[in-house]
Amino acid sequence: MNAALTTTGAEVLARGVTKRFGVRGQPVTVLDDVDLRIAPGEFVSVIGPSGCGKSTLLRIIAGLLDADEGSVAINGEAVPQAIRHKAMGLVPQTPALLPWRSVRDNVLLPTQVNTAANAGRNLLDVDELLTSFGLGKDLRKYPRQLSGGMQQRVAIARAFVFDPPVLLMDEPFSALDEITRDQQRLGLLDFWQSNRRSVMFITHSVPEAILLSDRVVLMAARPGRIAEITEIDLPRPRDESVFLSPQFREYEIRIREGLRRVMKNAQD
Amino acid sequence: MPRTEKASSMTMELEQTRRPRAEKAAGKPVKSAVPKVSAWARWRFGLWVPPLVTFVALGIAWEYVAHSNPFVIPPLGNIAESITNDPSAYWNNLLVTLKEVAVGGGAAIVLGYLLAVLMCEFKILERALMPVVMVIMVTPVIAIAPALVVAFGFGMLPKYIVTIIVAIFPILINSLAGLRAVDPGTLDVLRVVDASRWEIFWRLRFPGSMPYFFAGLRIAIPFAIIGAAVAEFVAAGEAAGLGAMVSIAASQANLEVTWAGISMFCVLGLLFVAALTLLRRRILWWDNHGRAPK
Ligand SMILES: Nc1ncnc2c1ncn2[C@@H]1O[C@H](COP(=O)(O)OP(=O)(O)O)[C@@H](O)[C@H]1O
Ligand SMILES: [Mg+2]
Repeated sequence: MNAALTTTGAEVLARGVTKRFGVRGQPVTVLDDVDLRIAPGEFVSVIGPSGCGKSTLLRIIAGLLDADEGSVAINGEAVPQAIRHKAMGLVPQTPALLPWRSVRDNVLLPTQVNTAANAGRNLLDVDELLTSFGLGKDLRKYPRQLSGGMQQRVAIARAFVFDPPVLLMDEPFSALDEITRDQQRLGLLDFWQSNRRSVMFITHSVPEAILLSDRVVLMAARPGRIAEITEIDLPRPRDESVFLSPQFREYEIRIREGLRRVMKNAQD
Repeated sequence: MPRTEKASSMTMELEQTRRPRAEKAAGKPVKSAVPKVSAWARWRFGLWVPPLVTFVALGIAWEYVAHSNPFVIPPLGNIAESITNDPSAYWNNLLVTLKEVAVGGGAAIVLGYLLAVLMCEFKILERALMPVVMVIMVTPVIAIAPALVVAFGFGMLPKYIVTIIVAIFPILINSLAGLRAVDPGTLDVLRVVDASRWEIFWRLRFPGSMPYFFAGLRIAIPFAIIGAAVAEFVAAGEAAGLGAMVSIAASQANLEVTWAGISMFCVLGLLFVAALTLLRRRILWWDNHGRAPK
Protein backbone atom coordinates (compact mmCIF):
# COMPACT_ATOMS: atom_id res chain seq x y z
CA MET A 1 0.00 0.00 0.00
CA ASN A 2 1.39 3.39 -0.84
CA ALA A 3 0.94 6.36 1.42
CA ALA A 4 -1.81 7.95 -0.62
CA LEU A 5 -4.13 5.05 -0.08
CA THR A 6 -4.13 5.57 3.67
CA THR A 7 -4.89 9.30 3.53
CA THR A 8 -8.53 10.24 3.65
CA GLY A 9 -10.35 12.86 1.64
CA ALA A 10 -10.86 16.56 2.03
CA GLU A 11 -13.71 18.43 3.65
CA VAL A 12 -16.34 19.80 1.30
CA LEU A 13 -18.26 22.69 2.74
CA ALA A 14 -21.14 24.36 0.92
CA ARG A 15 -22.75 27.32 2.68
CA GLY A 16 -25.95 29.06 1.68
CA VAL A 17 -25.66 28.00 -1.96
CA THR A 18 -28.38 29.61 -4.04
CA LYS A 19 -28.77 29.30 -7.80
CA ARG A 20 -31.32 30.78 -10.17
CA PHE A 21 -31.78 30.02 -13.82
CA GLY A 22 -33.53 32.37 -16.18
CA VAL A 23 -36.31 30.45 -17.88
CA ARG A 24 -38.01 32.56 -20.55
CA GLY A 25 -36.85 35.75 -18.84
CA GLN A 26 -38.30 34.58 -15.52
CA PRO A 27 -35.69 33.69 -12.87
CA VAL A 28 -36.42 30.30 -11.30
CA THR A 29 -34.73 29.42 -8.02
CA VAL A 30 -33.19 25.99 -8.52
CA LEU A 31 -31.22 25.89 -5.29
CA ASP A 32 -32.31 27.81 -2.24
CA ASP A 33 -29.83 28.35 0.59
CA VAL A 34 -28.29 24.86 0.56
CA ASP A 35 -25.82 23.93 3.30
CA LEU A 36 -23.91 20.70 2.91
CA ARG A 37 -20.81 19.40 4.64
CA ILE A 38 -18.96 16.30 3.59
CA ALA A 39 -16.40 15.27 6.17
CA PRO A 40 -12.99 14.02 5.04
CA GLY A 41 -13.41 10.44 3.86
CA GLU A 42 -17.18 10.51 4.18
CA PHE A 43 -19.52 8.97 1.61
CA VAL A 44 -22.60 11.15 1.16
CA SER A 45 -25.44 10.25 -1.16
CA VAL A 46 -27.90 12.82 -2.46
CA ILE A 47 -31.34 11.62 -3.40
CA GLY A 48 -34.46 13.45 -4.48
CA PRO A 49 -37.05 13.90 -7.23
CA SER A 50 -35.90 14.66 -10.76
CA GLY A 51 -35.19 18.31 -11.34
CA CYS A 52 -34.72 19.16 -7.67
CA GLY A 53 -31.23 20.50 -8.35
CA LYS A 54 -28.94 17.59 -7.43
CA SER A 55 -26.84 17.92 -10.56
CA THR A 56 -26.81 21.69 -10.24
CA LEU A 57 -25.44 21.41 -6.68
CA LEU A 58 -22.78 18.94 -7.83
CA ARG A 59 -21.78 21.14 -10.72
CA ILE A 60 -21.44 24.14 -8.42
CA ILE A 61 -19.20 22.15 -6.08
CA ALA A 62 -17.22 20.95 -9.11
CA GLY A 63 -16.72 24.53 -10.26
CA LEU A 64 -18.58 23.89 -13.52
CA LEU A 65 -21.27 26.39 -12.53
CA ASP A 66 -21.12 29.52 -10.38
CA ALA A 67 -23.52 29.93 -7.50
CA ASP A 68 -25.50 33.17 -7.32
CA GLU A 69 -25.11 33.29 -3.57
CA GLY A 70 -23.22 31.31 -0.97
CA SER A 71 -19.82 29.68 -1.03
CA VAL A 72 -18.12 26.36 -1.50
CA ALA A 73 -14.80 25.42 0.05
CA ILE A 74 -12.69 22.31 -0.39
CA ASN A 75 -10.47 21.89 2.66
CA GLY A 76 -10.89 25.59 3.30
CA GLU A 77 -9.86 26.50 -0.25
CA ALA A 78 -12.08 28.17 -2.82
CA VAL A 79 -13.17 25.95 -5.71
CA PRO A 80 -10.94 27.51 -8.41
CA GLN A 81 -7.84 26.79 -6.30
CA ALA A 82 -9.02 23.28 -5.53
CA ILE A 83 -9.51 22.69 -9.24
CA ARG A 84 -6.01 23.93 -9.95
CA HIS A 85 -4.66 21.27 -7.56
CA LYS A 86 -6.87 18.63 -9.13
CA ALA A 87 -8.60 18.09 -5.81
CA MET A 88 -11.76 16.65 -7.38
CA GLY A 89 -12.52 13.76 -9.69
CA LEU A 90 -15.78 13.66 -11.64
CA VAL A 91 -17.81 10.66 -12.78
CA PRO A 92 -20.50 11.91 -15.17
CA GLN A 93 -23.84 10.24 -15.78
CA THR A 94 -22.66 8.69 -19.06
CA PRO A 95 -19.20 7.09 -19.23
CA ALA A 96 -18.09 9.80 -21.70
CA LEU A 97 -15.03 7.84 -22.81
CA LEU A 98 -13.01 8.80 -25.86
CA PRO A 99 -13.58 6.23 -28.61
CA TRP A 100 -10.11 6.73 -30.09
CA ARG A 101 -8.35 5.92 -26.83
CA SER A 102 -7.85 2.48 -25.34
CA VAL A 103 -9.26 1.73 -21.89
CA ARG A 104 -5.85 2.38 -20.38
CA ASP A 105 -5.38 5.69 -22.19
CA ASN A 106 -8.90 6.80 -21.30
CA VAL A 107 -8.12 6.28 -17.62
CA LEU A 108 -4.83 8.17 -18.01
CA LEU A 109 -6.53 11.23 -19.55
CA PRO A 110 -6.79 13.35 -16.36
CA THR A 111 -3.13 12.70 -15.56
CA GLN A 112 -2.11 14.06 -18.96
CA VAL A 113 -3.63 17.51 -18.50
CA ASN A 114 -2.70 20.19 -16.00
CA THR A 115 0.43 18.16 -15.33
CA ALA A 116 1.79 20.82 -12.98
CA ALA A 117 -0.70 19.51 -10.41
CA ASN A 118 0.74 15.99 -10.67
CA ALA A 119 3.87 17.02 -8.81
CA GLY A 120 4.10 15.41 -5.38
CA ARG A 121 0.97 13.36 -5.68
CA ASN A 122 0.55 9.64 -5.81
CA LEU A 123 -0.77 8.78 -9.23
CA LEU A 124 -2.20 5.28 -8.93
CA ASP A 125 -0.77 2.56 -11.13
CA VAL A 126 -3.28 2.34 -13.98
CA ASP A 127 -2.83 -1.35 -14.63
CA GLU A 128 -3.24 -2.17 -10.95
CA LEU A 129 -6.23 0.13 -10.65
CA LEU A 130 -7.99 -1.37 -13.65
CA THR A 131 -7.20 -4.88 -12.46
CA SER A 132 -8.85 -4.10 -9.14
CA PHE A 133 -11.86 -2.89 -11.14
CA GLY A 134 -11.99 -6.27 -12.89
CA LEU A 135 -10.71 -4.82 -16.14
CA GLY A 136 -7.22 -6.30 -16.07
CA LYS A 137 -7.76 -8.13 -19.35
CA ASP A 138 -9.28 -5.15 -21.13
CA LEU A 139 -6.50 -2.57 -20.85
CA ARG A 140 -5.88 -2.50 -24.58
CA LYS A 141 -9.49 -2.69 -25.64
CA TYR A 142 -11.46 0.26 -26.91
CA PRO A 143 -14.64 1.60 -25.25
CA ARG A 144 -16.87 0.24 -28.00
CA GLN A 145 -15.73 -3.28 -27.19
CA LEU A 146 -16.94 -3.01 -23.58
CA SER A 147 -20.38 -3.44 -22.06
CA GLY A 148 -22.12 -0.46 -20.48
CA GLY A 149 -21.17 -1.61 -16.98
CA MET A 150 -17.52 -2.00 -17.92
CA GLN A 151 -17.48 1.42 -19.56
CA GLN A 152 -18.85 2.98 -16.40
CA ARG A 153 -16.14 1.25 -14.36
CA VAL A 154 -13.54 2.75 -16.67
CA ALA A 155 -15.11 6.17 -16.05
CA ILE A 156 -14.86 5.60 -12.28
CA ALA A 157 -11.25 4.46 -12.58
CA ARG A 158 -10.56 7.64 -14.56
CA ALA A 159 -11.77 9.69 -11.59
CA PHE A 160 -9.71 7.69 -9.07
CA VAL A 161 -6.46 7.48 -11.04
CA PHE A 162 -5.00 10.83 -9.99
CA ASP A 163 -6.01 10.15 -6.41
CA PRO A 164 -8.17 13.21 -5.73
CA PRO A 165 -9.35 13.65 -2.14
CA VAL A 166 -12.90 14.38 -3.37
CA LEU A 167 -15.00 12.36 -5.81
CA LEU A 168 -18.19 13.68 -7.38
CA MET A 169 -20.46 11.13 -9.00
CA ASP A 170 -23.69 12.07 -10.77
CA GLU A 171 -25.90 8.98 -11.06
CA PRO A 172 -23.05 6.89 -12.44
CA PHE A 173 -25.11 3.69 -12.57
CA SER A 174 -28.46 5.04 -13.69
CA ALA A 175 -27.97 3.97 -17.31
CA LEU A 176 -27.30 0.34 -16.37
CA ASP A 177 -29.69 -2.56 -16.03
CA GLU A 178 -30.53 -3.72 -12.51
CA ILE A 179 -28.25 -6.79 -12.43
CA THR A 180 -25.26 -4.85 -13.73
CA ARG A 181 -26.01 -2.04 -11.29
CA ASP A 182 -25.84 -4.41 -8.33
CA GLN A 183 -22.43 -5.59 -9.45
CA GLN A 184 -21.19 -2.04 -9.94
CA ARG A 185 -22.44 -0.89 -6.53
CA LEU A 186 -20.68 -3.67 -4.73
CA GLY A 187 -17.52 -3.07 -6.77
CA LEU A 188 -17.54 0.62 -5.87
CA LEU A 189 -18.27 -0.18 -2.22
CA ASP A 190 -15.31 -2.55 -2.11
CA PHE A 191 -12.95 -0.16 -3.78
CA TRP A 192 -14.00 2.85 -1.75
CA GLN A 193 -13.76 0.97 1.55
CA SER A 194 -10.07 0.38 0.90
CA ASN A 195 -9.50 3.86 -0.62
CA ARG A 196 -11.60 6.20 1.46
CA ARG A 197 -12.13 9.57 -0.12
CA SER A 198 -14.84 12.17 0.36
CA VAL A 199 -17.62 11.26 -2.01
CA MET A 200 -20.73 13.07 -3.17
CA PHE A 201 -22.86 10.48 -4.89
CA ILE A 202 -26.13 11.34 -6.61
CA THR A 203 -28.56 8.48 -7.06
CA HIS A 204 -32.20 7.65 -7.61
CA SER A 205 -31.95 4.35 -5.79
CA VAL A 206 -32.70 4.20 -2.07
CA PRO A 207 -30.99 0.80 -1.49
CA GLU A 208 -27.93 1.99 -3.39
CA ALA A 209 -27.72 5.10 -1.21
CA ILE A 210 -28.02 3.10 2.02
CA LEU A 211 -25.55 0.42 0.99
CA LEU A 212 -22.82 2.91 0.11
CA SER A 213 -23.31 5.92 2.34
CA ASP A 214 -22.44 7.28 5.72
CA ARG A 215 -25.20 9.82 5.27
CA VAL A 216 -28.12 10.12 2.87
CA VAL A 217 -29.21 13.65 1.98
CA LEU A 218 -32.80 13.98 0.81
CA MET A 219 -33.56 16.99 -1.35
CA ALA A 220 -36.91 18.59 -2.09
CA ALA A 221 -37.80 20.42 -5.28
CA ARG A 222 -39.02 23.89 -6.27
CA PRO A 223 -36.97 25.41 -4.87
CA GLY A 224 -34.26 22.79 -4.47
CA ARG A 225 -33.33 22.46 -0.82
CA ILE A 226 -32.24 19.87 1.69
CA ALA A 227 -35.28 18.25 3.33
CA GLU A 228 -33.63 15.80 5.69
CA ILE A 229 -30.42 13.94 6.33
CA THR A 230 -30.26 10.32 7.48
CA GLU A 231 -27.17 8.92 9.18
CA ILE A 232 -26.60 5.35 8.05
CA ASP A 233 -25.22 3.60 11.08
CA LEU A 234 -24.49 0.24 9.50
CA PRO A 235 -21.12 -1.26 10.43
CA ARG A 236 -18.22 -1.10 7.99
CA PRO A 237 -16.80 -2.75 6.04
CA ARG A 238 -20.13 -3.61 4.47
CA ASP A 239 -20.98 -6.14 1.82
CA GLU A 240 -24.15 -7.40 0.17
CA SER A 241 -25.27 -9.02 3.43
CA VAL A 242 -26.39 -5.58 4.70
CA PHE A 243 -29.36 -5.84 2.35
CA LEU A 244 -30.68 -8.57 4.64
CA SER A 245 -30.27 -6.76 7.96
CA PRO A 246 -33.40 -5.42 9.71
CA GLN A 247 -31.66 -2.04 10.17
CA PHE A 248 -31.36 -1.76 6.41
CA ARG A 249 -35.10 -2.29 6.06
CA GLU A 250 -35.76 0.42 8.62
CA TYR A 251 -33.55 2.92 6.81
CA GLU A 252 -35.19 2.03 3.55
CA ILE A 253 -38.68 2.58 4.94
CA ARG A 254 -37.68 5.85 6.56
CA ILE A 255 -36.05 7.29 3.43
CA ARG A 256 -38.84 6.12 1.17
CA GLU A 257 -41.33 7.85 3.45
CA GLY A 258 -39.26 10.99 3.31
CA LEU A 259 -39.23 10.81 -0.48
CA ARG A 260 -42.97 10.35 -0.57
CA ARG A 261 -43.45 13.39 1.68
CA VAL A 262 -41.18 15.49 -0.49
CA MET A 263 -42.97 14.48 -3.67
CA LYS A 264 -46.41 15.08 -2.11
CA ASN A 265 -45.48 18.56 -0.89
CA ALA A 266 -44.25 19.38 -4.36
CA GLN A 267 -47.65 18.53 -5.79
CA ASP A 268 -49.62 20.73 -3.39
CA MET B 1 -33.95 3.64 -20.43
CA PRO B 2 -30.48 1.97 -20.47
CA ARG B 3 -28.76 4.16 -22.97
CA THR B 4 -25.52 2.25 -23.11
CA GLU B 5 -27.33 -0.99 -23.61
CA LYS B 6 -29.18 0.40 -26.56
CA ALA B 7 -25.91 1.55 -27.99
CA SER B 8 -24.36 -1.88 -27.71
CA SER B 9 -27.30 -3.64 -29.28
CA MET B 10 -27.08 -1.15 -32.11
CA THR B 11 -23.46 -2.12 -32.55
CA MET B 12 -24.55 -5.69 -32.91
CA GLU B 13 -27.10 -4.81 -35.53
CA LEU B 14 -24.53 -2.96 -37.51
CA GLU B 15 -22.23 -5.93 -37.19
CA GLN B 16 -24.90 -7.99 -38.81
CA THR B 17 -25.70 -5.66 -41.65
CA ARG B 18 -22.05 -5.86 -42.52
CA ARG B 19 -22.43 -9.52 -43.38
CA PRO B 20 -22.43 -10.54 -47.02
CA ARG B 21 -25.52 -9.31 -48.72
CA ALA B 22 -25.76 -12.37 -50.93
CA GLU B 23 -25.86 -14.58 -47.87
CA LYS B 24 -28.67 -12.55 -46.35
CA ALA B 25 -30.67 -12.50 -49.54
CA ALA B 26 -30.49 -16.29 -49.63
CA GLY B 27 -32.31 -16.23 -46.29
CA LYS B 28 -29.56 -18.03 -44.43
CA PRO B 29 -28.93 -17.29 -40.79
CA VAL B 30 -26.06 -14.96 -40.14
CA LYS B 31 -24.01 -17.63 -38.44
CA SER B 32 -24.38 -20.10 -41.30
CA ALA B 33 -21.87 -22.85 -41.92
CA VAL B 34 -20.93 -21.44 -45.33
CA PRO B 35 -17.13 -21.61 -45.65
CA LYS B 36 -15.43 -18.24 -45.33
CA VAL B 37 -13.83 -18.24 -48.78
CA SER B 38 -17.04 -18.75 -50.65
CA ALA B 39 -18.83 -16.16 -48.54
CA TRP B 40 -16.06 -13.71 -49.34
CA ALA B 41 -16.27 -14.50 -53.04
CA ARG B 42 -20.01 -13.99 -52.99
CA TRP B 43 -19.62 -10.74 -51.16
CA ARG B 44 -17.19 -9.48 -53.80
CA PHE B 45 -19.65 -10.61 -56.43
CA GLY B 46 -22.46 -8.64 -54.85
CA LEU B 47 -20.18 -5.64 -54.58
CA TRP B 48 -18.88 -5.43 -58.13
CA VAL B 49 -21.45 -6.95 -60.41
CA PRO B 50 -24.43 -4.57 -60.00
CA PRO B 51 -22.49 -1.37 -60.79
CA LEU B 52 -20.67 -3.17 -63.58
CA VAL B 53 -24.00 -4.08 -65.17
CA THR B 54 -25.09 -0.44 -64.89
CA PHE B 55 -21.92 0.81 -66.55
CA VAL B 56 -22.08 -1.72 -69.37
CA ALA B 57 -25.72 -0.81 -70.03
CA LEU B 58 -24.84 2.91 -70.05
CA GLY B 59 -21.96 2.22 -72.42
CA ILE B 60 -24.21 0.34 -74.85
CA ALA B 61 -26.80 3.14 -74.74
CA TRP B 62 -24.05 5.70 -75.31
CA GLU B 63 -22.70 3.84 -78.35
CA TYR B 64 -26.22 3.51 -79.77
CA VAL B 65 -26.88 7.26 -79.49
CA ALA B 66 -23.40 8.18 -80.71
CA HIS B 67 -23.73 6.09 -83.87
CA SER B 68 -27.21 7.31 -84.76
CA ASN B 69 -26.52 10.99 -83.86
CA PRO B 70 -22.77 11.59 -84.37
CA PHE B 71 -23.17 15.35 -83.77
CA VAL B 72 -24.53 14.94 -80.26
CA ILE B 73 -21.94 12.69 -78.60
CA PRO B 74 -18.90 10.92 -80.04
CA PRO B 75 -18.41 7.13 -79.89
CA LEU B 76 -16.33 6.00 -76.91
CA GLY B 77 -13.62 4.62 -79.25
CA ASN B 78 -13.09 8.08 -80.78
CA ILE B 79 -12.71 9.64 -77.32
CA ALA B 80 -10.05 7.11 -76.35
CA GLU B 81 -8.32 7.61 -79.68
CA SER B 82 -8.20 11.36 -79.16
CA ILE B 83 -6.37 10.79 -75.89
CA THR B 84 -3.90 8.20 -77.23
CA ASN B 85 -3.14 10.37 -80.27
CA ASP B 86 -1.89 13.27 -78.20
CA PRO B 87 -1.40 12.09 -74.62
CA SER B 88 1.02 14.86 -73.65
CA ALA B 89 -1.53 17.62 -74.33
CA TYR B 90 -4.01 15.93 -72.04
CA TRP B 91 -1.35 15.17 -69.47
CA ASN B 92 -0.12 18.79 -69.36
CA ASN B 93 -3.63 20.16 -69.00
CA LEU B 94 -4.41 17.58 -66.34
CA LEU B 95 -1.32 18.66 -64.39
CA VAL B 96 -2.37 22.30 -64.51
CA THR B 97 -5.82 21.48 -63.14
CA LEU B 98 -4.36 19.09 -60.60
CA LYS B 99 -2.08 21.84 -59.35
CA GLU B 100 -5.01 24.24 -58.99
CA VAL B 101 -7.04 21.67 -57.10
CA ALA B 102 -4.10 20.68 -54.89
CA VAL B 103 -2.95 24.21 -54.04
CA GLY B 104 -6.40 25.83 -53.89
CA GLY B 105 -8.05 22.85 -52.20
CA GLY B 106 -5.11 22.39 -49.81
CA ALA B 107 -5.24 26.05 -48.81
CA ALA B 108 -9.01 25.80 -48.36
CA ILE B 109 -8.58 22.79 -46.07
CA VAL B 110 -5.93 24.43 -43.90
CA LEU B 111 -7.63 27.84 -43.80
CA GLY B 112 -11.09 26.36 -43.30
CA TYR B 113 -10.03 24.23 -40.34
CA LEU B 114 -7.96 27.03 -38.76
CA LEU B 115 -10.88 29.42 -39.10
CA ALA B 116 -13.18 26.83 -37.53
CA VAL B 117 -10.80 26.43 -34.57
CA LEU B 118 -10.59 30.20 -34.08
CA MET B 119 -14.37 30.58 -34.30
CA CYS B 120 -14.84 27.74 -31.81
CA GLU B 121 -12.39 29.23 -29.32
CA PHE B 122 -13.38 32.87 -29.78
CA LYS B 123 -17.11 33.26 -30.16
CA ILE B 124 -16.63 36.91 -31.08
CA LEU B 125 -14.77 35.89 -34.23
CA GLU B 126 -17.70 33.77 -35.28
CA ARG B 127 -20.03 36.73 -34.80
CA ALA B 128 -17.70 38.95 -36.77
CA LEU B 129 -16.95 36.60 -39.67
CA MET B 130 -19.94 34.30 -40.11
CA PRO B 131 -22.10 36.93 -41.89
CA VAL B 132 -19.32 37.57 -44.41
CA VAL B 133 -18.91 33.84 -44.90
CA MET B 134 -22.63 33.52 -45.56
CA VAL B 135 -22.62 36.40 -48.06
CA ILE B 136 -19.77 34.86 -50.04
CA MET B 137 -21.26 31.40 -49.79
CA VAL B 138 -24.62 32.38 -51.29
CA THR B 139 -23.01 34.32 -54.17
CA PRO B 140 -22.63 32.01 -57.20
CA VAL B 141 -18.93 31.40 -57.79
CA ILE B 142 -19.53 31.59 -61.53
CA ALA B 143 -20.38 35.26 -60.99
CA ILE B 144 -17.31 35.96 -58.85
CA ALA B 145 -14.82 34.22 -61.12
CA PRO B 146 -14.81 36.74 -64.03
CA ALA B 147 -14.34 39.60 -61.59
CA LEU B 148 -11.36 37.84 -60.05
CA VAL B 149 -9.79 37.22 -63.45
CA VAL B 150 -10.13 40.92 -64.23
CA ALA B 151 -8.59 41.80 -60.88
CA PHE B 152 -5.74 39.30 -60.82
CA GLY B 153 -5.07 38.58 -64.49
CA PHE B 154 -4.78 35.26 -66.24
CA GLY B 155 -2.16 33.65 -63.97
CA MET B 156 -2.74 30.91 -61.43
CA LEU B 157 -3.71 33.26 -58.60
CA PRO B 158 -7.35 33.88 -59.55
CA LYS B 159 -7.78 30.13 -60.06
CA TYR B 160 -6.43 29.39 -56.62
CA ILE B 161 -8.72 32.02 -55.14
CA VAL B 162 -11.83 30.69 -56.88
CA THR B 163 -10.97 27.15 -55.79
CA ILE B 164 -10.44 28.26 -52.20
CA ILE B 165 -13.73 30.17 -52.17
CA VAL B 166 -15.76 27.12 -53.20
CA ALA B 167 -13.91 24.52 -51.16
CA ILE B 168 -13.48 26.37 -47.88
CA PHE B 169 -17.11 26.47 -46.76
CA PRO B 170 -17.84 22.77 -46.33
CA ILE B 171 -14.58 22.43 -44.37
CA LEU B 172 -15.31 25.43 -42.17
CA ILE B 173 -18.95 24.62 -41.42
CA ASN B 174 -18.38 20.91 -40.79
CA SER B 175 -15.25 21.37 -38.68
CA LEU B 176 -16.90 24.01 -36.55
CA ALA B 177 -19.84 21.68 -35.91
CA GLY B 178 -17.39 18.88 -35.03
CA LEU B 179 -15.31 21.01 -32.68
CA ARG B 180 -18.49 21.93 -30.81
CA ALA B 181 -20.04 18.46 -30.78
CA VAL B 182 -17.68 16.96 -28.19
CA ASP B 183 -19.16 14.89 -25.39
CA PRO B 184 -20.17 17.34 -22.63
CA GLY B 185 -19.36 14.69 -20.01
CA THR B 186 -15.75 14.42 -21.13
CA LEU B 187 -15.54 18.19 -21.25
CA ASP B 188 -16.68 18.33 -17.60
CA VAL B 189 -14.18 15.66 -16.58
CA LEU B 190 -11.39 17.75 -18.13
CA ARG B 191 -12.60 21.06 -16.72
CA VAL B 192 -12.73 19.71 -13.17
CA VAL B 193 -8.99 19.05 -13.38
CA ASP B 194 -8.35 22.51 -14.81
CA ALA B 195 -7.31 21.38 -18.30
CA SER B 196 -6.22 24.39 -20.35
CA ARG B 197 -7.99 25.42 -23.53
CA TRP B 198 -5.09 24.06 -25.50
CA GLU B 199 -5.27 20.70 -23.67
CA ILE B 200 -9.01 20.49 -24.26
CA PHE B 201 -8.44 21.26 -27.91
CA TRP B 202 -5.60 18.81 -28.39
CA ARG B 203 -6.98 15.88 -26.37
CA LEU B 204 -10.69 16.28 -27.09
CA ARG B 205 -11.84 18.75 -29.73
CA PHE B 206 -9.24 18.07 -32.39
CA PRO B 207 -9.63 14.28 -32.57
CA GLY B 208 -13.37 14.55 -31.95
CA SER B 209 -13.81 16.92 -34.89
CA MET B 210 -12.12 14.57 -37.36
CA PRO B 211 -15.25 12.66 -38.46
CA TYR B 212 -16.92 15.99 -39.25
CA PHE B 213 -13.78 17.30 -40.91
CA PHE B 214 -13.67 14.25 -43.17
CA ALA B 215 -17.33 14.63 -44.00
CA GLY B 216 -16.45 18.20 -45.01
CA LEU B 217 -13.53 16.96 -47.12
CA ARG B 218 -15.82 14.65 -49.01
CA ILE B 219 -17.82 17.65 -50.17
CA ALA B 220 -14.90 20.08 -50.45
CA ILE B 221 -12.78 18.01 -52.83
CA PRO B 222 -15.37 17.76 -55.62
CA PHE B 223 -16.12 21.44 -54.96
CA ALA B 224 -12.44 22.28 -55.42
CA ILE B 225 -12.50 20.56 -58.81
CA ILE B 226 -15.61 22.55 -59.74
CA GLY B 227 -13.84 25.73 -58.62
CA ALA B 228 -10.78 24.99 -60.76
CA ALA B 229 -12.95 24.13 -63.77
CA VAL B 230 -15.03 27.29 -63.45
CA ALA B 231 -11.93 29.47 -63.15
CA GLU B 232 -10.47 27.88 -66.26
CA PHE B 233 -13.69 28.31 -68.23
CA VAL B 234 -13.70 31.98 -67.39
CA ALA B 235 -10.04 32.43 -68.26
CA ALA B 236 -10.15 30.10 -71.25
CA GLY B 237 -8.04 32.57 -73.25
CA GLU B 238 -5.05 31.31 -71.35
CA ALA B 239 -5.65 27.84 -72.81
CA ALA B 240 -4.28 25.95 -69.83
CA GLY B 241 -6.03 23.31 -67.77
CA LEU B 242 -8.74 20.77 -68.50
CA GLY B 243 -11.50 23.36 -68.09
CA ALA B 244 -10.00 25.64 -70.75
CA MET B 245 -9.45 22.63 -72.97
CA VAL B 246 -13.09 21.55 -72.69
CA SER B 247 -14.33 25.11 -73.15
CA ILE B 248 -12.27 25.77 -76.28
CA ALA B 249 -13.01 22.37 -77.80
CA ALA B 250 -16.75 22.79 -77.22
CA SER B 251 -16.75 26.21 -78.88
CA GLN B 252 -15.11 24.59 -81.91
CA ALA B 253 -17.62 21.70 -81.82
CA ASN B 254 -14.73 19.30 -81.30
CA LEU B 255 -16.72 16.59 -79.52
CA GLU B 256 -13.88 14.09 -79.06
CA VAL B 257 -11.63 16.54 -77.23
CA THR B 258 -14.57 17.92 -75.23
CA TRP B 259 -15.55 14.50 -73.94
CA ALA B 260 -11.97 13.37 -73.45
CA GLY B 261 -11.47 16.43 -71.22
CA ILE B 262 -14.67 15.67 -69.31
CA SER B 263 -13.57 12.09 -68.72
CA MET B 264 -10.24 13.37 -67.35
CA PHE B 265 -12.15 15.50 -64.84
CA CYS B 266 -14.03 12.38 -63.94
CA VAL B 267 -10.84 10.38 -63.34
CA LEU B 268 -9.36 13.24 -61.32
CA GLY B 269 -12.40 13.39 -59.06
CA LEU B 270 -12.49 9.63 -58.57
CA LEU B 271 -8.79 9.50 -57.68
CA PHE B 272 -9.24 12.17 -55.03
CA VAL B 273 -12.29 10.53 -53.53
CA ALA B 274 -10.57 7.13 -53.49
CA ALA B 275 -7.50 8.60 -51.79
CA LEU B 276 -9.77 10.28 -49.26
CA THR B 277 -11.57 7.03 -48.49
CA LEU B 278 -8.27 5.24 -47.86
CA LEU B 279 -6.99 8.08 -45.69
CA ARG B 280 -10.20 8.12 -43.69
CA ARG B 281 -9.96 4.43 -43.01
CA ARG B 282 -6.44 4.87 -41.67
CA ILE B 283 -7.10 7.93 -39.53
CA LEU B 284 -10.67 7.37 -38.42
CA TRP B 285 -10.50 3.65 -37.68
CA TRP B 286 -12.26 4.39 -34.38
CA ASP B 287 -15.25 6.00 -36.05
CA ASN B 288 -16.25 2.99 -38.13
CA HIS B 289 -19.95 3.58 -37.65
CA GLY B 290 -20.35 1.54 -34.51
CA ARG B 291 -18.33 -1.48 -35.59
CA ALA B 292 -15.83 -2.85 -33.14
CA PRO B 293 -12.27 -1.92 -34.07
CA LYS B 294 -10.07 -4.80 -35.16
N1 LIG C 1 -28.69 25.59 -17.70
C1 LIG C 1 -29.96 25.60 -17.23
N2 LIG C 1 -30.82 26.56 -17.61
C2 LIG C 1 -32.08 26.59 -17.15
N3 LIG C 1 -32.57 25.69 -16.27
C3 LIG C 1 -31.76 24.71 -15.87
C4 LIG C 1 -30.41 24.60 -16.32
N4 LIG C 1 -29.84 23.53 -15.73
C5 LIG C 1 -30.79 22.98 -14.96
N5 LIG C 1 -31.94 23.70 -15.03
C6 LIG C 1 -33.17 23.40 -14.29
O1 LIG C 1 -32.84 23.30 -12.95
C7 LIG C 1 -33.57 22.29 -12.31
C8 LIG C 1 -32.65 21.34 -11.61
O2 LIG C 1 -31.89 20.63 -12.55
P1 LIG C 1 -30.87 19.48 -12.13
O3 LIG C 1 -29.90 20.03 -11.17
O4 LIG C 1 -30.33 18.88 -13.36
O5 LIG C 1 -31.84 18.45 -11.41
P2 LIG C 1 -31.58 16.95 -10.94
O6 LIG C 1 -30.16 16.61 -11.22
O7 LIG C 1 -31.92 16.93 -9.49
O8 LIG C 1 -32.53 16.09 -11.70
C9 LIG C 1 -34.41 21.63 -13.38
O9 LIG C 1 -35.72 22.11 -13.27
C10 LIG C 1 -33.78 22.07 -14.66
O10 LIG C 1 -34.75 22.21 -15.65
MG1 LIG D 1 -29.30 15.21 -12.57
